[in-house]
Amino acid sequence: MKKSLRILAAMGLSLLMSTTAMAAGKEDLKIAIDADVNTLHPSDWTTTSELNIENQIYDTLIFYARDGQSDPEPRLAESFEISEDGLTYTFHLRDGATFHDGSAITSEDAKFSIELYAQSEYQSSMAEIASVEAPDEKTVVITLANPYSPFLEDVSRQHIASKAYHDSVDEDTFANQPLGSGAYKFVSHAIGSSIELEAYEDYYRGAAPIKNVTFSVVPNTASIALMSGDIGFAQIQASDLAQLQAMPTITIEEVPTSGFSFLSMNTEKEPFNDVKVRQAINYAINRENIVSVVYDNEAEENSNICAKTRFGYSDEQPQYTYDPEKAKELLAEAGVEEGTNLGTILCADKYSNLATVLQADLAAVGLNCDISVEEFNAYIQDLTSGNYDLCALEMTLDGDTQMLEMAFTSDYIGTANNARYSDAEMDDLFAQARVENSDEKRLELYNQIFTKAQDEAVYAIIANPLELYAYDANLTVTDFVLEGDYYLHDFAWNE
Amino acid sequence: MTKFVVKRILYMIPVLFGVAFLVFAILSLTPGDPGTIILGVTAKPENIAALNHEFGFDQPFLIRFFTYMKNLVLHQDMGISYQYRRNVWTFIAEAFPYTLLLAVLSMIVQSILGVSLGIFSAVRQYSTLDRICVVVALVFASIPGFWLGLMLIMFFSIRLKLLPVFGAESLAHFVLPTLTVSLTSAAGTLRLTRSAMLETIRQEYIRTAQAKGASERVIIWKHALRNAMIPVVTSLGTGFGASLGGAIIAETVFSIPGMGRLMVNAINQKDIPMVMGATLFLAFIFSMIVLLVDILYAFIDPRIKEKYKNGGRHRE
Repeated sequence: MKKSLRILAAMGLSLLMSTTAMAAGKEDLKIAIDADVNTLHPSDWTTTSELNIENQIYDTLIFYARDGQSDPEPRLAESFEISEDGLTYTFHLRDGATFHDGSAITSEDAKFSIELYAQSEYQSSMAEIASVEAPDEKTVVITLANPYSPFLEDVSRQHIASKAYHDSVDEDTFANQPLGSGAYKFVSHAIGSSIELEAYEDYYRGAAPIKNVTFSVVPNTASIALMSGDIGFAQIQASDLAQLQAMPTITIEEVPTSGFSFLSMNTEKEPFNDVKVRQAINYAINRENIVSVVYDNEAEENSNICAKTRFGYSDEQPQYTYDPEKAKELLAEAGVEEGTNLGTILCADKYSNLATVLQADLAAVGLNCDISVEEFNAYIQDLTSGNYDLCALEMTLDGDTQMLEMAFTSDYIGTANNARYSDAEMDDLFAQARVENSDEKRLELYNQIFTKAQDEAVYAIIANPLELYAYDANLTVTDFVLEGDYYLHDFAWNE
Repeated sequence: MTKFVVKRILYMIPVLFGVAFLVFAILSLTPGDPGTIILGVTAKPENIAALNHEFGFDQPFLIRFFTYMKNLVLHQDMGISYQYRRNVWTFIAEAFPYTLLLAVLSMIVQSILGVSLGIFSAVRQYSTLDRICVVVALVFASIPGFWLGLMLIMFFSIRLKLLPVFGAESLAHFVLPTLTVSLTSAAGTLRLTRSAMLETIRQEYIRTAQAKGASERVIIWKHALRNAMIPVVTSLGTGFGASLGGAIIAETVFSIPGMGRLMVNAINQKDIPMVMGATLFLAFIFSMIVLLVDILYAFIDPRIKEKYKNGGRHRE
């Protein structure tokens, strides 16, 4: 009996010790991510987790705060020039920046990385690069085949990797044991569970204050792990917000995004080919109610596809407000009788609440429809092949405002132009904006584009959902970038 | 006996081939292609096509299936995962030990709790403790695993701050997942053991043993238990095999990077080589466990051993 008691006591003690060891010291930070990374290849990333981890490991030539106003900031490139015709971009690299093995970052590495990004199947850059030259050790010259105004935005996503490292190891090592140029060094990756990083002491902007960072894969219980203190930083769901807000040990950050929730109408089908019907549907939607019911108020009401934080947005562009009477009038003008069946709202499981509220809004103006909830891959296939009437969903076309051309131009029917909207004038306006180098003229073009998009009610845009982050109240985050990109160099423990 | 084992191992070949074909067919018939799933709808169609080509996904179904089987059988090559672009075996070798550890720990707790309390309940039928056992077992059998897991976290991790919420780094990380899996399944084992024992102790040979004056301990352990154990061992064995497929709920709630999460993730991403590799691996392990259980019968019940000697017709 005594012996078994002793064994039990020893077991209890070892359990306690293991939990004490778990409490993070002030040099460490654990971050929850919802899925493991598939790769840490500098250009072949696709998911948010991958991008957020690579942003720590790799630096870029320039940095963009994605708020629609700020100019790019220098990073590995000290300065840059753009030629008058908008075709040639010359970057001057800084001295003293090194890869994590201590070797200097040269223009050959930049050239290699830019080419890697341009050739990657995983990236959908619209820029056509004619050539990349490295005339001397510190200069990189990129020549475009056609002017592409948002090119700097592309450059801000091109992670700079070491050419020598690439040439000395196999592809698998290059992709999964990265040697980077950023504020944090890669330490290890335990498949399915965690990625460990360590601050790079010789980082040219100064070593990051937090020395060791672990990204832990916690798909469902990140909020609970925050409460117990096992995790220091996580993106959370709106449904967990109230509980976490009540805790004094946790800070919440609400970050605006350019992602949008919307009802897509298949403009190739009747009656959605009639602009009056589309406008009526826009007036029939009670956006304020949706933001409250579907998003727990964690979204910004906006009927414009261009988020307020984006370059090109203006309050002068029309907004749709909730006006069921106006909707009924427009429907009568279009000859759509009360009780007309619009078909089916297609959606994936995660958008079914949105679809249900939309169905009720449409019913209130005398339009009937069913809801069909499909498995995600089946839903994507029906959506992109145009095999639907209405579809409730969210989408993100982040990056430069020009990315929104994917939602409107005929080239993107079958991919991201969900409305299957085809209009020669719209195609032309986006084509002009793509090659326009003057910000002033681009702004004017985007103004025309979004005014036209609203007049023609191409989509029924509802809101921009906020991204929610919760973290230890002892943690200071000096700079939260929009779109949920974060840089751990900006994180520090208080004291 | 050897003849029986060899015969059973040969049976596994068509079983595994059937599993492979079914899983491959189901995955190929469901909508979606890996290129679109990985790159998303905003990707350029030519990039999606290039990726699908690289994966061989643009080939007809039968060609893809037989290429896969040929590589597997001739070169023991499970293929390259679509999502990770690395060999499938790397991921199975990484995930399986976690699942195995959780399954073994749960099996131990489940057997000890379920079988011992089941015997106790049966021997002391209608006593207060028997009633408590039956009611508690009913409660645990009815509790959904995910809820039990969350309640255990709330109590042991948030309130007592004694055990970690997620991960699989130390044995402490396995305490709550093991409890989650074993408490709900031990309830079933308890009920099964109890009813099997009750049925056995009503048999005439038990009465004969009592009549000739054998002690209760000898009757329970020597005469009753061995006979009552056949259904219990079957249930424990297949339950163990199934839990090697990943205790999906426990792995999800406690973020354990085991087989269950690997498979669910691979299915969502339509990572056919990964799903195929994991399923075939588990089907093989499962078949082996069922075979072991059948061999175990022979040691529990000499009558079954006799049948195996006659060429393997068993379990009538």
